[in-house]
Amino acid sequence: MSKFSYRNKPLGLYLHIPFCVKKCGYCDFYSVEDRELMKEYVSALLLHIRSYGKVCSGYTVDTVYIGGGTPTCLGPKYLGRILQEIRNKFPLAEDAEITVECNPESTDKKVLDVMKKQGVNRLSFGVQSAHDEELRAIGRIHTFAQAKEAVELAREKGFANISLDLMYGLPGQTQEMFLDSVEQCLGLEPQHLSCYGLKLEPGTPMGRENPVLPDDGAQADTYLAMCERLRDKGYEHYEISNFAKPGCRSRHNMKYWDLSEYLGLGPGAHSFMNGRRFAFARDLKAYIGGEDIVQDEDEVPTFQRQGEYLMVRLRTADGVDFLDLEKRYNIDSTPYEEAFRGLMGNGLVAHQGTRWYLTEKGFLVSNSIINIVVAAGQEQMTS
Amino acid sequence: MNNRGQIRNFSIIAHIDHGKSTLADRLLEQCKAVTQREMEEQLLDNMDLERERGITIKARAVRMEYEADDGNTYQMNLIDTPGHVDFNYEVSRSLAACEGALLVVDAAQGIEAQTLGNTYLAIDAGLEVVPVINKIDLPAADPARVKNEIEDIIGIPAEDSPEISAKMNLNIHEVLERIVSDVPPPSGDAEAPLKALVFDSQYDPYKGVIVYMRLMDGCIRPGMRVKMMATGAVFQVLECGYLQPFGLSPQQELRAGEVGYFTASIKNVADTRVGDTVTEADRPTAEALPGYRPARPMVYCGIYTEDGSKYPDLRDALEKLQLNDAALSFEPESSVALGFGFRCGFLGMLHMEVIQERLEREFDLDLVTTLPSVVYEITKADGTTVHCDNPHDYPDPAVIEEAREPFVKATIMTPNEFVGNIMPMCQERRGVFKDMQYLDANLVELHYEMPINEIIYDFFDALKARTKGYASLDYEFLDYRPSDLVKVDMLLNGDQVDALSFIAHREKAYGRARRICEKLKENIPRQLFEIPVQAAIGGKVIARETVKAMRKDVLAKCYGGDITRKKKLLEKQKEGKKKMRSLGTVQLPTEAFMAVLKLDEE
Repeated sequence: MSKFSYRNKPLGLYLHIPFCVKKCGYCDFYSVEDRELMKEYVSALLLHIRSYGKVCSGYTVDTVYIGGGTPTCLGPKYLGRILQEIRNKFPLAEDAEITVECNPESTDKKVLDVMKKQGVNRLSFGVQSAHDEELRAIGRIHTFAQAKEAVELAREKGFANISLDLMYGLPGQTQEMFLDSVEQCLGLEPQHLSCYGLKLEPGTPMGRENPVLPDDGAQADTYLAMCERLRDKGYEHYEISNFAKPGCRSRHNMKYWDLSEYLGLGPGAHSFMNGRRFAFARDLKAYIGGEDIVQDEDEVPTFQRQGEYLMVRLRTADGVDFLDLEKRYNIDSTPYEEAFRGLMGNGLVAHQGTRWYLTEKGFLVSNSIINIVVAAGQEQMTS
Repeated sequence: MNNRGQIRNFSIIAHIDHGKSTLADRLLEQCKAVTQREMEEQLLDNMDLERERGITIKARAVRMEYEADDGNTYQMNLIDTPGHVDFNYEVSRSLAACEGALLVVDAAQGIEAQTLGNTYLAIDAGLEVVPVINKIDLPAADPARVKNEIEDIIGIPAEDSPEISAKMNLNIHEVLERIVSDVPPPSGDAEAPLKALVFDSQYDPYKGVIVYMRLMDGCIRPGMRVKMMATGAVFQVLECGYLQPFGLSPQQELRAGEVGYFTASIKNVADTRVGDTVTEADRPTAEALPGYRPARPMVYCGIYTEDGSKYPDLRDALEKLQLNDAALSFEPESSVALGFGFRCGFLGMLHMEVIQERLEREFDLDLVTTLPSVVYEITKADGTTVHCDNPHDYPDPAVIEEAREPFVKATIMTPNEFVGNIMPMCQERRGVFKDMQYLDANLVELHYEMPINEIIYDFFDALKARTKGYASLDYEFLDYRPSDLVKVDMLLNGDQVDALSFIAHREKAYGRARRICEKLKENIPRQLFEIPVQAAIGGKVIARETVKAMRKDVLAKCYGGDITRKKKLLEKQKEGKKKMRSLGTVQLPTEAFMAVLKLDEE
């Protein structure tokens, strides 16, 4: 039995590791290639884990997610220290889901051993593609063979819950090529798959390069074909880009999608606690310098919270239950329902009783749907 | 000084860009009415817009004193005339206030259609026309050819016309001397009852309407009760005087032959219509001056603000513009697509453009306008006749006995090499060819009778494009003629968009409907569902396009816990949507309306 009672509020903990051997061309997350400051960073992060651990004594941390950047490039020593410190300082639930993002080229035996030892029970591999020319084109420094080897090694070490990341909509990628990547990944029997469409972000090398991507129609077709294939293989499509075998959904990510509380440590990491959103500046040196100043983003007003709730819930296959919504915000859900009914004829949304959700076709245009639904609620509020 | 023999009333006739304003400036300078330093460039056109577009919208009159070579000092009244076909009537009234006109012709380009039209107006009004060849400093100047042109085409002697360059200040003196020697002094009887011609008016927030007039007979003094003979309005004169380049110069009296103004706390320019006759209320003149015609709008369109909440601002702006522009009419209308706005009437296309630009520029409004329409005349089965300037009001075809549309007499002047380009263009636009005249060896005048509907649609641009800008057009209202008219409705997702309906001749309706459908398709962003774009006459669809459904609009990744970022992205998208008009289930961007209006600019 854990010494922490479940009467405590649950909390997700995210740690950001802002280092990469080489940044990928599309990536917009905060990370640097210069690893000179790694030691200082780990010290600073450990300090933070200690101080925030105290603050969070009223919580039970039931998910931990170490992401980046490239957590595995920390090497076994630092990674082990960090995991150890989390165990020591945070009130961790016994059955906590502990995930580490792994890059194939830096996930070796030693790293796997230390993760296993420290109770990591879920690995997320950035595979992205089964085709090396595609991997090169987006600036990945590993091959598919390396990825396969790393995943197989993790299996040998006893990691039972493995997730793979894939990308579609890459420059020059045909539907056939992508589905082949899906097939090759399925060969590795992952419990979970995240399939993201490439988005060109301003300020990234690929954003500046602005290559021609497959058009929206082709990407939509690819997405739908992928959904169908994964469904056939027994994966639940539980969020726009996420698929899992029954019981293997990412509990940490689910927190983002139901407005549960989470704490993010590290530069560029975001938190949502006590109705407040805040983030640490995307500035490694400032973070190391101990500037514990968070960029306070906003105290979310109630009427915006409904919108946020809809926004995140509608990303999931479960969607939003109007009974929940009414209870949560003490409102009348009729205008939302009307907005949904207006979209029904086009096969974009569906419902089971009071629970409304987006179909796969609806997921593809979820931004527009969310805007329509949220606007319907706001109109009611202003009228 | 009001010795009638030493008064010269004249105006300047010139094509756009032929240098009327520059010459006016030089005349004022030479008469020391203004100094170089005071001089704003192109003084008479004191609206920015006019200066920019090189056209004069409001007529002005300025008095200057000229010490002539004969030793006498002359009172020179320069009455400025508007320079565009839409303002023909205003031009004719300005000319009627003069005894002479300078015909300014560009030494390189020669005579153009509008100049010709206005020159004929001047000759018909009995004015002494003094040709002046301007821009002789240009390398391409050919004064001899232009003089021949004037003699051949207009039939007035031009051999010893002054050859000047207003820009270089060359031979301006000669022009002034010619005005003194050639333009006759005004006649008229200062003792007779007051008889004055209103040729313009302007609203001043302090003085009320300032009425510009030319006294034909009698005198006007402060305190006198005057009557406007057409409108019947009676006022007591508060102030009278003449106009200086920089303001008013109040006088004790103005006498027959003089040009000047009066004020009488008049609230509304509509009471002082151009062409009206001012007389004494207690001792009226027997007969009004001939030629008065109430302003009649020929072109109508709906004007809306892009931001619906600016509707009151638009109303205020239109009211302010109307203070100075009795020809502008407007009344409130509402549209499902565009909200609240105004149905506005204009003298013509240029008048419409000028008003739209002034609304946007001077009043900082973002406008959405509907397709312009002319006034149709419809006899219904029950024998009643209605006028219709708005597709929205077009009667059900079942009750229409006969529909008629307005025709104009169109005069196109062009170098003969372009005749082959112009004729098919006029034919396409249902023009009825009347005749063709060679004005000289290579200048041709074509006469057509055409529906105004076709002219307001795209004629000016097409003419310019097909004649490299050399041809010019003049038109005047002719009559109403029976026409096979249809009302075409545009439907989005099955819902009619009222603001996009139009009336057209049946033969033209199909092509236009097809192009509007295409334009809408291009300009309507993809939405969550397929949107049929249709054009229909009655219940019959005559053109169709489809806006395909949006396939992908998704943020694949939720950026860790960065909800704020995703929220901002969605809000940005929503901002874009705000500029859209919601029509039932369809979002229509303002650009779609604009694109339909600019149908033929490519």
